[in-house]
Amino acid sequence: MRKAGNSYEAQGAANSDSAAERITARRLRIGTRNEAKKRQELGQECPKVVEEEVRKSQVQVEQSERRMTKLQTNGTELVTNILVATDARESQRRKELEEARRLRLEKLENEGKSSYEKFQEINEKWTIAKTKELPQDLRDAQSSQQQLCAQLIADKNQLINELQQELKAFDERYVKDLKKQAEDVDLMIARMEDQVRTLIKSYRQELDQIENSFEDEQEALLMEKKENWEQQTKQRRDKEMELLLQRIKQVEEYGDLLQKLRAEDAEEFNIIKIKLETEVEDREQRLQQEKAIHQLNQEKLDYNYQMLKNSDEEKTIIMSVQKRKITRMQDALNNLKGKCANQVKQSREENQSLTEDYKRNMQQYKRVEKKMKHFAAVNAKRFEDVWLMNEEEVKALVRKVLEVDRLIHEQQLGLTWVPPPMPFMEQSGPTVTQHPAQTSARQAAAKALQADEQEDKAEQDVVESSGGLERKGAGVDGKTVKQVLELLCDETGFLIEDKLLKLLSPVEKDEQSLMKLDSVFSAIGIENEEDVYKMTDFFMKYKQKLKEQEEVTLTLSGGGSSDLIHPNDVLVALRAFTAQHCRSRKGQSQQQHSGLSLEGRDEAEDAKYWESLANIIPESKLKLWAALEAALNMYHSELMARSKLLEETKNLKQQNTEIKMLLYQHYIPKVHAEVEVPQMVHFAHK
Amino acid sequence: MRRIIAEDPEWSLAVVPQLTNLCLQHIVKNFEEKPILDELLPSHKAQVLEKLSTSLPLSITANLVSQESYWKRCCEERWGLCDVLPYGDSWKRMFFERHLENIIELFIPDLIDPKTVLDMVPLCKNYVKRLIISQLLPPIREPQKLEEDDGSDTASDMGYNGPSMDHFDFRILLDKLTNLEEFHVMYRVKGCGMNFEWNLFEFTLRDCESLAKALQSCKTLKVLKIQQSKVDDAKCRVLVNYLLEHPSLQELDLSHNIIGDRGARAIGKLLNKSALKTLSVYDNQIQGPGAQAIAHALTKNTTLLSLNLRLNRIGDEGGQALAQALLKNETLVYLHVGANEMTEPTATAVSQALVMNTRLKSINLSCNKLGVDGGKVLEEGMSHNTTLVECDIRLTDTNQVSEFCIAQFLLNNKSKAHLK
Repeated sequence: MRKAGNSYEAQGAANSDSAAERITARRLRIGTRNEAKKRQELGQECPKVVEEEVRKSQVQVEQSERRMTKLQTNGTELVTNILVATDARESQRRKELEEARRLRLEKLENEGKSSYEKFQEINEKWTIAKTKELPQDLRDAQSSQQQLCAQLIADKNQLINELQQELKAFDERYVKDLKKQAEDVDLMIARMEDQVRTLIKSYRQELDQIENSFEDEQEALLMEKKENWEQQTKQRRDKEMELLLQRIKQVEEYGDLLQKLRAEDAEEFNIIKIKLETEVEDREQRLQQEKAIHQLNQEKLDYNYQMLKNSDEEKTIIMSVQKRKITRMQDALNNLKGKCANQVKQSREENQSLTEDYKRNMQQYKRVEKKMKHFAAVNAKRFEDVWLMNEEEVKALVRKVLEVDRLIHEQQLGLTWVPPPMPFMEQSGPTVTQHPAQTSARQAAAKALQADEQEDKAEQDVVESSGGLERKGAGVDGKTVKQVLELLCDETGFLIEDKLLKLLSPVEKDEQSLMKLDSVFSAIGIENEEDVYKMTDFFMKYKQKLKEQEEVTLTLSGGGSSDLIHPNDVLVALRAFTAQHCRSRKGQSQQQHSGLSLEGRDEAEDAKYWESLANIIPESKLKLWAALEAALNMYHSELMARSKLLEETKNLKQQNTEIKMLLYQHYIPKVHAEVEVPQMVHFAHK
Repeated sequence: MRRIIAEDPEWSLAVVPQLTNLCLQHIVKNFEEKPILDELLPSHKAQVLEKLSTSLPLSITANLVSQESYWKRCCEERWGLCDVLPYGDSWKRMFFERHLENIIELFIPDLIDPKTVLDMVPLCKNYVKRLIISQLLPPIREPQKLEEDDGSDTASDMGYNGPSMDHFDFRILLDKLTNLEEFHVMYRVKGCGMNFEWNLFEFTLRDCESLAKALQSCKTLKVLKIQQSKVDDAKCRVLVNYLLEHPSLQELDLSHNIIGDRGARAIGKLLNKSALKTLSVYDNQIQGPGAQAIAHALTKNTTLLSLNLRLNRIGDEGGQALAQALLKNETLVYLHVGANEMTEPTATAVSQALVMNTRLKSINLSCNKLGVDGGKVLEEGMSHNTTLVECDIRLTDTNQVSEFCIAQFLLNNKSKAHLK
């Protein structure tokens, strides 16, 4: 192909060809270098070989491809060269044609112009010729005109000739061009065929090469695989052999084993057979027996059946009777039910009326109670009033008596009077047994709690309060009391109402516990401080009791719990305490109740009191008084007599005066009033 | 002695024709009256097709027979050795296309009834995808001449000054061929030999208008080639006018005509009002202004892949305009401006375009007087380009050294493209 091409074409192709080869060579070198580097780095051999092999074919393919494309481009270039050349020629021709046309046009124009000038000239001459009159001149002018015309025509003819020649030349050229183009086409076809041929050839070569490379590769691969295959088949064969031997051995073993097992099994089978046969015989015998029993039983059963049938009949009779009875009973029951319902109704009504009665009674009772209380209070008041009144009277009497006594002593007897001891004189009002004011349980609890709080800051207070507590708490420490209370507070939450708890939630802790304790106390029935201490004491004792019972178990528990009762036992202890406490409380309350009534007053003391008042004057004095009375009586009587006499004198004197008055009035009513008066006075003196 | 005479030693059951065969033979014989094919078993069908006459009327076979073997026989009988590849490996398509082409090429206006063509339409419209009309006969003036011969004879005797020289009117045909994708037409007469007359090669304005309207009505058309038909500026403008906004046209070939600058301007307008991918206007008379118009259209175009302006006279004016258009265009892949009277300034502009453009793969500058300096400038431009794989600078008076260097650059680019 290269030979067939143009010289400069071929050169270019050769150059590019060599360049391409150089590039491929460089690429190959770089590839191998990279390969070597990689091999060194990885140190692996197997993949490298594979890669190399693959690469070989790939490289071959690439090379062939490159060579073929180059060949193809060169070939097409060669073919298209003709086209390009034709194009160039064509454009050249066109240019020339254009130029020629331009020249021709110019020439034609020039020619036209010159011929037009000539034509004008001829025309002008015609006008001149017309003016000529001489035939000679006219002929001359005509001939000259003729000449001129001929010249013009010759010019035109010449031009026509030229143009025709040009046309001919173009015709020839056209034919030449046609020929040339035919040649070109032939050449192009020849080149195309050439190229096709060379391409086919080179394609074939390249294909062969690629195939060869692939075959080499394949062969190598095949060899390798074959080796591998053989090796593995050999391994397999060995293994198979081994396994076969093993298997034969095993088969033999298993055959022996089978034989043995078979013999054993046969023996066993015989034994079992004999056993089973004997068993069968036994079973048959038993079967016979069973059959006999069965017959017996059947007879019995038949008899029983008969009996039962009879009884059944009886029973049916009874049943019908019973049924009738049941119906009757049912009727009765219904009646009774009705009655019952009535009864219930009645009783309900009754109940209602009774409850109303009860309510009324209760109201009455309450009213009566209120009245009673009122009356009791009134009675008491009245009693006191009466008492006071009597006392006053008595005291006045006593005082009188004493005064009298004193007068007697001082005036009559002339003795110094010593007043008897009178302690009761200062006393007033009814004698009342005064109970000491008991602090309430709640206050006690508060005190106990506060005591503990204040313990740190003021010891004295604690001493005081605890002293006060000890006075009544029989040696119960305030601290323990507090602990007990806290325990109670924690353990007896169930005694507190839910509402209260809800209400208490915002309050302070101490206050809260206090309120809780209050409600707990009210629930248990503890009212005053004493009870609180009693309870604490009880708890201590209870604990001790428990301790004695379970010394071992309690010693194990910590020191903190040893002081106090265990929280778990609180409830038990509390129950025991409440049981005891309630009992004692009941008795006490009964006593108190009786003490409160008026009948229960201390009459003996009253009597004594009054006695003492009555006996303010001793017996001896009475005797004295009796004697004195007697003497005085006598004296009195004397005095009485004297007074009588005095009165008589008095009367007489009066009568005397009266008489004198009468006389005076009678005698001197007119003048002698003075006489009368001295008489009267005289009388009066008398 | 008794003789035993064998009844017929040659006899065998195979000799007796089977009933099925007889039936099939009968079917083949009477196929024209009673075409039975689809109801047969596949094997029988094949037998029937093998024996069917190729001279059966097309109205029977066209839509009935779809088997290639029959149509292959038809083609080979009619045209001898054929290459079925250009017809998409379909003998049937080949048969109908060539049949229709024959009818149209031998159609003589005013003499042959257009019905002969229209009759074919329902038969072949499903199979014709491409029509290559290589000649169109003009009407005959003198009826006394013989007309049943081939077109060259009739054409030769045609009158000079007929008032109507119009050819076959494609309007009646193209809108009915619903599968037509490719249409080639040449308004000329083939093989006229010594009977040459200029008016045998006439493409009248009325022809042009009817053709353009026909093309507009054919909405499936993709490729249009009107070559060697004396298309001048006015006709080109008419064609373009009707082809504007054509929905499917992708390739337009107006080569070997006499289109000038005004026609080129119209083509430039068409470029941006259609989806053209390939445009070939080689061997025309386009000069600088026309090329400038096309270049201006190129700056805005985003569809055109290939442009061929070979053998025009666009000169440096047009060459520079095209090179500047390449700076902005990002779709054009192939450009052929060979034999265009371009010189060194164009080479400079092209080299600048090569530096910037990354889309162009092939450029042909052959047969232009670029000169030694132009070659050097091109070489420099190529050194900055990485996408161009073909650059034809044959017969451009350039230095061999620069030619070689450019070849090197092209090789590099090619290997790069190959690696990708």
